[in-house]
Amino acid sequence: MYKVAVSGINAVDNPGPGVGVAKSIKQGDLEVKVFGLAYDAMEPGIYMDWLIDRSFLMPYPSKGEEPFLQRLFYIKERYGLDVVIPNLDAELPLFIKAQKELSSFGIKTFLPTEEQFKLRSKGELPKIAEEVGLKVPKTITVTSYEDFVKAVNEIGFPLMVKGVFYEAYKAFNISQATAYFNTLVSKWGYPVIVQEVVSGEEMNVVGVGDGEGGHFGLVAIKKLWITSLGKIWTGITVKNEKLLQAAQSFVSAFKWRGGFEVESIVSENEVYLIEINPRFPAWVYFATGVGINLPLRLLKAALGMEPERDWEYEAGKLYVRFTDDFITDMDKFQEVIVNGEA
Amino acid sequence: MGAIERLAISKNGFVFDPATGNSYTVNSTGLFILNLLREGKSEDEIVDALVENFEVSQEEARRDLLDFLEQLRVNGLLEASNV
Amino acid sequence: MKRPYEKPVINKLKVNFMNKFGTGTFSLSKKVRKEIEGVPVEKLVEEFGSPLFVFSEKRLRQKFREVKNAFTLRYPNVEFSWSYKTNYLDAICAILHSEGETAEVVSEFEYEKARRLGVPGNKIIYNGPYKPISSLKTAVEEGARINIDHFEEISDLEEVAKELGVKVKVGIRLNMDTGIKPQWSRFGFNLESGQALDAVKRIAAGGVLELCGLHCHIGTFILDPSAYEKEVKKLVDFAYKVEDEFGFKIEYLDIGGGFPSKNRLRGVYLPPDVAVPSIDEFAEKICGALLSSLRPGDYPKLILESGRAIVDEAGFLITTVHASKRMPDGRRAYILDAGVNVLFTAFWYHFNIEIDREVVGPSEPCILYGPLCMNIDVVDDDVNLPPLPRGTKLIISPVGAYNVTQWMQFIRYRPGVVLIGENGSVELIREAEDLSDIVRREKLPERLKVKWEE
Repeated sequence: MYKVAVSGINAVDNPGPGVGVAKSIKQGDLEVKVFGLAYDAMEPGIYMDWLIDRSFLMPYPSKGEEPFLQRLFYIKERYGLDVVIPNLDAELPLFIKAQKELSSFGIKTFLPTEEQFKLRSKGELPKIAEEVGLKVPKTITVTSYEDFVKAVNEIGFPLMVKGVFYEAYKAFNISQATAYFNTLVSKWGYPVIVQEVVSGEEMNVVGVGDGEGGHFGLVAIKKLWITSLGKIWTGITVKNEKLLQAAQSFVSAFKWRGGFEVESIVSENEVYLIEINPRFPAWVYFATGVGINLPLRLLKAALGMEPERDWEYEAGKLYVRFTDDFITDMDKFQEVIVNGEA
Repeated sequence: MGAIERLAISKNGFVFDPATGNSYTVNSTGLFILNLLREGKSEDEIVDALVENFEVSQEEARRDLLDFLEQLRVNGLLEASNV
Repeated sequence: MKRPYEKPVINKLKVNFMNKFGTGTFSLSKKVRKEIEGVPVEKLVEEFGSPLFVFSEKRLRQKFREVKNAFTLRYPNVEFSWSYKTNYLDAICAILHSEGETAEVVSEFEYEKARRLGVPGNKIIYNGPYKPISSLKTAVEEGARINIDHFEEISDLEEVAKELGVKVKVGIRLNMDTGIKPQWSRFGFNLESGQALDAVKRIAAGGVLELCGLHCHIGTFILDPSAYEKEVKKLVDFAYKVEDEFGFKIEYLDIGGGFPSKNRLRGVYLPPDVAVPSIDEFAEKICGALLSSLRPGDYPKLILESGRAIVDEAGFLITTVHASKRMPDGRRAYILDAGVNVLFTAFWYHFNIEIDREVVGPSEPCILYGPLCMNIDVVDDDVNLPPLPRGTKLIISPVGAYNVTQWMQFIRYRPGVVLIGENGSVELIREAEDLSDIVRREKLPERLKVKWEE
């Protein structure tokens, strides 16, 4: 029995990947107990007891490294904990920095190094794109309102305004752009990214790099229908050679370790690199559903086992996200509120 | 029935207001005061009870009770009495 | 048997804020600090009053040595020059001079203060955009290194050189694009526009000044070490251009300061222990860039004017809770005996806030107000604290940089400053002010003397 903690169990309209990760590893050939790491007592994953066996409120990563790690050590001591799979961007710098310390306490991870993590920072995208043979939309990183206005004038409308960790908005005029800018700054601080909008098909690749230049599988998909927040609602597997080739080049050139998502826009003959996320996307269960259980493979890699590497999947498999609801008592909510775990 | 009387209060400090659907957490001293308020005790009686049951001075207890009542008012659980 | 008491608290649960570990900077572990470097906080306040700045000599020396080692292990010719504006208390400067730092000053006042402390002129670097000509003359006579900020200063220095009949060695300050926003372009001569080259031409044409150094300060609280790499490469390229085309020898490259401390900058989401790179990362980039772009055998002096990174974490402020208030929005507020009058850096940072005793009770979001009758006097607007009794001491850190130079006297006396020595001794290094400090310079015309009719 392996005990695995998973964060990002906020399965809401802008979902974290945690529930998809939990669902995937529960369907594998390992016996696992899943712990949910939550930041709010109302994260739905806490109440999904068929996927998540016990949940813990975590101090925010912005509170500092020590309280965060102490909380993980507490879980380790009290309940046992073998592996953590962090799924939220705001946590990753902390986990990556602390991976050695965690490992010395017997908590394993499978994460990129600090250097790899920095590489995929939004400012470095052109470098990666060049290395793997893709184009990038014009991107300007700003740290003040004045620079923001300059960047907006340079790029022109429509454009994307993106936060350093999360959230991206399409703006069609200056007042819209300014409103998004202000929201992002107050929520996530600087820098803010201003990016040219390129039109085409939005295609993404999910994968797990083995840290030595190889990978434990890749799956490419196209988003067919998205929510107003840009989140996938219906999608389809694709086999775009240029994109998959680029994802492989990315893994081999930077010896990427851990889960990742390559976001791209494919237009006619060009593939534009939009972003590289150093973690699984919220739709990671799509890969599991077409036979490539990437979260399980990452878990095995973290445990020091040799995961499968096959990645034959069928193009044209459909992904359907749907809403559902269930009713439960207030007890669990009370417990999480009062004790911080349930 | 006043807001205080209708609250569902559990021993671990979780408070639920069935009329508004709001939930609250309250610490043990707060719970102690809430229960006395539900019994209709006056401010003076509550201060005396606090001093009798806790290691606290009359002065601090009175100051803190005022603050707690203000918290209840801010949360709409007591009616503002001096406006 | 009476029960232990904690102040009564009721908190409404709000969507997106249902995390008992709180949203403020005060985390789940109530941070208690009963002593600073082994000296009880209570004893410090008893003896020296509150508020009180406390500096740790041990931390100061350790931090300096850490920074020094990071660079001297990687490059053979390094000088550290203490940035007086960061903290010019005599005792602090004296400690850093004893560690081998020279003095970096930006005004005639700081220059005089360094000289008074016993720093020889040739151990002073004189920077800044406003250097009165009389002070330039003194600096030249005493052999200080001068970094020129603008064309007028070139003329001023030529005048001084002629008057004294000497050839004066000078540096020029450059500004450049290193990817850091905002770009500091108001100091020195711009590199990319060709202004810097014009300054060199102008110096060469004058014939009485000898260019021997380049200075550049790219910004403050820089979190990206690679910005320094760009700075150094550009400086080295420019230095060789100057040497090859004008025959000057560039003896030093002064890259200024700007290294961050482990303070929590407002507007940065990640905590400082994750967001702030180590000094080794900066040293690696800077020295790596030097060694890879300098010509073989050429090791010009690398000068660092690091201030904040060295002294910030050595400073604490003890302040006392004077009163508490419930704000109309339900939040609790505390009124402290120290505010932005002595904590200028509160405008930039969320400090680390610790309390001097165990306080039972749940933490709640609080505002910390200072003692000024002004709306801006907010030490922090989002701290999670347990219910604090009156008289609780808060220990605020890091506050060693810029506060004891930028503090203001507005409506209150400035507090005392003590130093805890390496052996644990506590010494007063600046007395708390009293009325005499403030009225000493005032003159009341006889005819205005206040007389109340009985």
